[in-house]
Amino acid sequence: MSKEVSEEGKTHHGKDYVDPPPAPLLDMGELKSWSFYRALIAEFIATLLFLYVTVATVIGHKKQTGPCDGVGLLGIAWAFGGMIFVLVYCTAGISGGHINPAVTFGLFLARKVSLVRALGYMIAQCLGAICGVGFVKAFMKTPYNTLGGGANTVADGYSKGTALGAEIIGTFVLVYTVFSATDPKRSARDSHIPVLAPLPIGFAVFMVHLATIPITGTGINPARSFGAAVIYNNEKAWDDQWIFWVGPFLGALAAAAYHQYILRASAIKALGSFRSNATN
Amino acid sequence: MEGKEEDVRVGANKFPERQPIGTSAQTDKDYKEPPPAPFFEPGELSSWSFYRAGIAEFIATFLFLYITVLTVMGVKRAPNMCASVGIQGIAWAFGGMIFALVYCTAGISGGHINPAVTFGLFLARKLSLTRAVFYIVMQCLGAICGAGVVKGFQPNPYQTLGGGANTVAHGYTKGSGLGAEIIGTFVLVYTVFSATDAKRSARDSHVPILAPLPIGFAVFLVHLATIPITGTGINPARSLGAAIIYNKDHAWDDHWIFWVGPFIGAALAALYHQLVIRAIPFKSRS
Repeated sequence: MSKEVSEEGKTHHGKDYVDPPPAPLLDMGELKSWSFYRALIAEFIATLLFLYVTVATVIGHKKQTGPCDGVGLLGIAWAFGGMIFVLVYCTAGISGGHINPAVTFGLFLARKVSLVRALGYMIAQCLGAICGVGFVKAFMKTPYNTLGGGANTVADGYSKGTALGAEIIGTFVLVYTVFSATDPKRSARDSHIPVLAPLPIGFAVFMVHLATIPITGTGINPARSFGAAVIYNNEKAWDDQWIFWVGPFLGALAAAAYHQYILRASAIKALGSFRSNATN
Repeated sequence: MEGKEEDVRVGANKFPERQPIGTSAQTDKDYKEPPPAPFFEPGELSSWSFYRAGIAEFIATFLFLYITVLTVMGVKRAPNMCASVGIQGIAWAFGGMIFALVYCTAGISGGHINPAVTFGLFLARKLSLTRAVFYIVMQCLGAICGAGVVKGFQPNPYQTLGGGANTVAHGYTKGSGLGAEIIGTFVLVYTVFSATDAKRSARDSHVPILAPLPIGFAVFLVHLATIPITGTGINPARSLGAAIIYNKDHAWDDHWIFWVGPFIGAALAALYHQLVIRAIPFKSRS
């Protein structure tokens, strides 16, 4: 959704971009608009497809009978990163292409989505994740149950604290990339032509997976971890589940704070002082 | 030969003289939804661009099958998987080749290279039945020739190592294979719809920015997910080409899955995009 900004009497200070105003905390008017429900449907379908392709890739890899018979961990990382790229590309104009409760949370903290919309998105994402993994289980039932169900757990040799740290930093990378890709100041510098913003977001996911698949199988997406845990329904998956909500949400919070308060210096600008130059 | 070069990009500028449907609802927009393509358009048959588009689809599908099936045969012939490009390499061959070929062919025929994509776009009224049938025939012929060349390079290994044909793997039911093909094709065709959306073009300031890249990635990703299940069809021409050249019972037994699945997936993607995402039928009445 976009808010129309009246520019009467507004001085630009030489900037050719306008930061959108903060989204209202509660925007009940959204509930009457079809575009709100279309966005929810889009988030649901996107998360469903994301979980189906990625978890099917994971199970297919684990099902291998000899060395190199599967797509490899590199292939799994590509599945996650590539799928985020494709789905953010398809969904960006409809719902903003979050596909991840942590991204939604980060954007909510940055006042870019309302609370109503944020909650709606998160619910749609979790439901889509459950359905997506459900499809994988339906198509490959026995290997799904015997090969870990694609669920996120802390690997042997790593402590829960290490896993939590990996999730925090991993989600920071992702959400920080999302903020950079959607920054209106960057849009102005790119002459307002979007240059495949989804691509760096997909690559960020890909690279975080390269780093942390050995530690936790890489959550950085609470819906992804939740969907796999629900369908797999194994005690160890639930024991560690809190890591895959607390970690990503803390990472998103840190990314939102870093981008909004340090890079864009919104708090300092509000004070109207401490500027390097008048047109900053 | 026409006096002027006809722009055969799917739906673009084909009917400049016609009022776009729902034009009153679009006066404040800087994009126009192209009008539905006519069901039959006999005039196409007398235009060189029509046949050029068909030839482009033939050549693209031929190259697609040649590169991909040859990659598959290379993996199968290797002493072990570690000595070959592996399953991931096969997925890259499919996805990367679609990216390259859609990029080359988009301005000529719309870059379908896949009967399921053609079918989905036909359901969305973006091309006529005449053109859709012609494209599908040319894609199937190109696929047969592509697989034929691969067999020509290595006749015996081709026949003993499965010929790159799609079949449902051991441990999976035909229902699983069908479901995987439906969802896989949905991902691909939905990405095609998103990449070619008129509204997106407007939002991108009408600057084409590598629309083929997400389409190629979608193919690559679906292959990663479903190669263990069916070898991944999601392209009836690809499945048909390999099945015809390989010509064994078990390839034909499962072959219906690789037409029914993709066409259902394409239909679902067309419905989802046109009815839910763009709500086009409802807008035309407002």
